[in-house]
Amino acid sequence: MKRHARLLRTAVVGGASLAMTLSLAACGGSADGDSGTIHVLVYGDATNKVEKQLVDTFNKTSKVKAVLDTVPGADYQAKLQTIISGKQAPDVFFNWGGGSIEPYVDAGLLKPLDDFIAEDPGLKANFLPSVFDTAVVDGKPYGVPMRGTQPVLLFSNKKVLQDAGVTTPRTWDELLATVGTLKAKGITPIALGGGDKWPTQMWFQYVYDRVAGPELFEKAVKGDKEVWASADSRKALGMLEELIDTGAFGTNYDSVKFTDGGSPALLATGKAAFELMGSWEYSTLQDAYPDFVKNDLGYGTFPTVEGGKGDARNVAGNTNNFYSVLRTTEHPEAVAEFLKLMYSDEFVEAQLAVGNLPTTTNTPEFLDRAANPEYSKYQYDLVKEAPAFQLSWDQAFPPAATTTLHQAVQQFFNGQTDTDSFIAAMQSLPAA
Amino acid sequence: MTTATASAADGEKTRNRRRPARPGAGPGRPGFAWAAPAAVFFGLFALVPLLLVAVLSFTRWNGLGSPEFAGLENWSALLDDPVMVKSLWLSLVLTVLGVAVQTPLSILLGVWAAGHQRNRAVLSAIYFVPLLLSITAVSVLWRAVLDPNFGIPAQAKWLFGDGNLFGVQAGALGVLVFVSTWQFTPLHTLLYQGAARAVPRVLYQAAQIDGAGRVRQFFHITLPQLRNTVVTSTILMVVGGLTTFDTVLILTQGGPGTDTTNSAYYMYQKAFKSFDFGTASAVALLLVLVAGLVSLVMVRLSGYDRMRSTLEGV
Repeated sequence: MKRHARLLRTAVVGGASLAMTLSLAACGGSADGDSGTIHVLVYGDATNKVEKQLVDTFNKTSKVKAVLDTVPGADYQAKLQTIISGKQAPDVFFNWGGGSIEPYVDAGLLKPLDDFIAEDPGLKANFLPSVFDTAVVDGKPYGVPMRGTQPVLLFSNKKVLQDAGVTTPRTWDELLATVGTLKAKGITPIALGGGDKWPTQMWFQYVYDRVAGPELFEKAVKGDKEVWASADSRKALGMLEELIDTGAFGTNYDSVKFTDGGSPALLATGKAAFELMGSWEYSTLQDAYPDFVKNDLGYGTFPTVEGGKGDARNVAGNTNNFYSVLRTTEHPEAVAEFLKLMYSDEFVEAQLAVGNLPTTTNTPEFLDRAANPEYSKYQYDLVKEAPAFQLSWDQAFPPAATTTLHQAVQQFFNGQTDTDSFIAAMQSLPAA
Repeated sequence: MTTATASAADGEKTRNRRRPARPGAGPGRPGFAWAAPAAVFFGLFALVPLLLVAVLSFTRWNGLGSPEFAGLENWSALLDDPVMVKSLWLSLVLTVLGVAVQTPLSILLGVWAAGHQRNRAVLSAIYFVPLLLSITAVSVLWRAVLDPNFGIPAQAKWLFGDGNLFGVQAGALGVLVFVSTWQFTPLHTLLYQGAARAVPRVLYQAAQIDGAGRVRQFFHITLPQLRNTVVTSTILMVVGGLTTFDTVLILTQGGPGTDTTNSAYYMYQKAFKSFDFGTASAVALLLVLVAGLVSLVMVRLSGYDRMRSTLEGV
């Protein structure tokens, strides 16, 4: 009996210590974040080389070292939300401002940047006010712009258009006609990464804006459900349906993705003539198809809609991305120094070199030296002149709405739902 | 969840085995202490999380701050949720298709690989490779291979049409079943190979004397002798099938629409896309219940709990 008891004790102690060793090992991964480093979490894509360069610049002079952590795009938001309130939280992280950081501000996780700005007014004054204000929540600034402004543009393959004998359409009717011509030549008129769903959403953003103006969505995001059933809403959906039915996107767009390079490849290889995409399309294509970017990449605004209420100069997309700071950071001085790099000449030049358009006040000085000065100036003027800049729908609504929103746009495009069920789905979204 | 259902089967087994002889009654019977390390692990990593999930399912929580008690809100919302019901059906469909495709394939391959010829040894070693790859890598690979414009479908239009595999339900389900089959058939082949090698040769020799051909030998000796392995392999497939997640995440993201949103993916979507951990926990618990029920029924029907030797009388 005694032997039994000893055995039991040995086993329990052994098991417990084994379990502890394992859990310690599991924690080990985050332990290196404590001593003299700040972790910078960013959305993983082609712009990361700029972030890497700035982190290197920072580390040359700083005692506290910055570590860049990238999370592949599609999983960024999920990863962030899971770690932000735990021990593995970064010190500084990438976000879209506005709605994307509101839950964190409400939970008291973020550091208001007032102190930083009091010490260095440049952290506010050196950015375009309209962009900086996107990351102001409840009157307090929570973010510093850290990439470029990203209006959604209609990109095209100039060679394909030329061979087909068509020009870039300026109105919706011209677009429909062009689609017909291209289809007759056996070319997919418009590349669409429907598998990602948010590229599909871009078509809704622009058509709704052109038909009804920015006010409709502004009301919708604040909780007005009626606007979705309005005549303007139905007209926009009818136009989209017509475009889809003419075969503008081909038939297999739901099997294509932007994120794995599928839809940009269609455009660059001449299998498709147009793609509606954010301005990051430029850096994506420059990475994979530099010759195409140099010779044949065309870009322009979304076509106008006759009789529509939206200004033809309105744009949609992301105003900019932002760095926000965790309240729990152990090295606030180092973080402040790091953020100051976001209006440095080096930052502006590096962003311009990859085709991004920074929103610092000194940006215009460097536009001549951009990788493609023409492209940069075009965007800069477009954003400056735009009466309204529609934030992407899935960024304007809280994260809880994303799944339903994405499913609704996909199902409308592939015919699984009709106008009425699309409207019902949009009405079921939680308000911001 | 995999551990939970597997252990449900285990628990079932030990309970029945224990019935005739009380522990400690006979000499040399191992004491409970020997089970302690496993029991501690199981408790820590299976039972405690399960319990926490059960508690979470009655709360409202977005992952930040503290959960708020929500009563039965999540559960009543789920019962009216068409996507939830659809997701359970999809889980079952994926499981049934997986078993129906993989079982005959792996029996044939396993029995073939059980032969001692050298070419069979080499080929079965090569055929084992997919199992060594990570399912994530395999899914990414097939996603690229099946790209409609730049992958195989673009070259084989006679077979794939416009190549819209991920845009229609049948295509997307087909891809999911195909990729799991590609990855997991080697595992089950291995099970059947081992089992087929364990079949006593005297049976075949006797059959040969009686004039039975290869086909008859297969159906009247090999297959009956593999009965227990069929049960084991099927249970593994069912448990794996009901909790299929990685392939769905990478290949289809539950689309088109909600056409491949099975329960495991729906749970992920609720938790890590919508940040509604309460509802996600309820989905998870429901999946545990359904999977537990399915494996219980299977154990009862197949006689897994009183598995008899196939060598009686040999």
